[in-house]
Amino acid sequence: MTTNIPTTSVPAELTELLDDAALTLEQLARGVRQAPEWVLTHVKAGVLHPAHGQAAAEWRFASATLLRARRIANLEHSFDADPQLAALTVDLMEEVAALRRQLTQF
Amino acid sequence: MEFKDYYQILGVDKSASADDIKKAFRRLARKYHPDVSKEPDATERMAEVNEANTVLSDPEKRAAYDSVGAQNWAAGARSGDDVRPPPGWNEGFEFSGGDGNAEAFRHAFHGQFGSEAGEYSDFFEQLFGRAGRFQAGRRHGQGSTQMRGEDRHARIELELIDAYKGTERSITLHGVRLDEQGQPPVPEERTLQVKIPKGVKEGQLIRLTGQGSPGFGGGAAGDLFLEVHFRPDTHWRIDGRDVTRNLYVTPWEASLGGSVQVTTPDGAVVEVTVPAGSGSGRKLRLKGRGIPSASAPGDLYLELDIAVPGTITDAQKAAWSALAAAYPGFDPR
Repeated sequence: MTTNIPTTSVPAELTELLDDAALTLEQLARGVRQAPEWVLTHVKAGVLHPAHGQAAAEWRFASATLLRARRIANLEHSFDADPQLAALTVDLMEEVAALRRQLTQF
Repeated sequence: MEFKDYYQILGVDKSASADDIKKAFRRLARKYHPDVSKEPDATERMAEVNEANTVLSDPEKRAAYDSVGAQNWAAGARSGDDVRPPPGWNEGFEFSGGDGNAEAFRHAFHGQFGSEAGEYSDFFEQLFGRAGRFQAGRRHGQGSTQMRGEDRHARIELELIDAYKGTERSITLHGVRLDEQGQPPVPEERTLQVKIPKGVKEGQLIRLTGQGSPGFGGGAAGDLFLEVHFRPDTHWRIDGRDVTRNLYVTPWEASLGGSVQVTTPDGAVVEVTVPAGSGSGRKLRLKGRGIPSASAPGDLYLELDIAVPGTITDAQKAAWSALAAAYPGFDPR
């Protein structure tokens, strides 16, 4: 049984608020636990969109794209879902979340 | 630590085929998906279902799990609260199969920050944690002797004022510590004291460099990503960095115009001019008074809502009647 949980203060320089275009292709792939090819395929399919950059090496993804990519990858894995179907489902999930938020606001 | 009956969790019997397991998992994944389920314990149930599927859908893991069994697990060596599988439980099994995205949901984040769907239990970590880490390293093309730690994700809920002023939070992480001798990893908790910078918005990520899972064999630690969400609040509506609140005004303030005092989300009191002839729903914009940002601060919108007093006295009724008489042609319909 743990009695004393060690506490660490995270230095401010290690705390970064990710901007709308912050993640490279490799960082996005790592966050989704997929190979970079998975990201490339999904960008080409129009399922994921870089916020900036023309060539793949220059792509920068918004942090919201990481959340979206994680959901898509999860659906693909759980249901053997086609990427487009997974993306459509995530679109609907995001819509439902936004509507639920509206219900709780004035 | 109790033995987890993965067959019972998925509602299948021990002779279930791979197809039976897949069908059962999909049915339950749909039922308990945290983004859509209305079940109060959906997140916890989904985590259990994910974990059971991760083991039972992988022939090697399933065989290892079956070989341990409830009785053997109960007979495992005990030392205080630390329960380990029986010696030699994993001999002959090499966990070569990756379980793809399920690895993304291995870790638990508890406390006031909620938890992440699909986290793996201590029981799972005892059985498969070490093997899972080797798999993750292979997927990223690294050698088995040195690998970067996994990135981890957690969700935090903030008040709107935290976005205006920044705040500090404690996050308790539930993970595992790898044993240098190659023994199954043991559960470990640690608490991070984190400064949340001002300017965060709904759905934004905060990256804490090096605060994810530790690396292996000298590899760098992964990062911890905090996903920001605001607690539901009936006073504010938030869209990106723009914030909207309603502003009640009297009929005469709306009609004649006037100056009213408004409290902004960060507690400041500002004087606002209501233009004459304003109707309900009209929005007044306070530029740059939304969620702060060095590059693009949001705006604060005040949505006018005309409050009509209940008529109480004869004099007040007479005043409204006089008002009606002053507008003989007015028909808002």
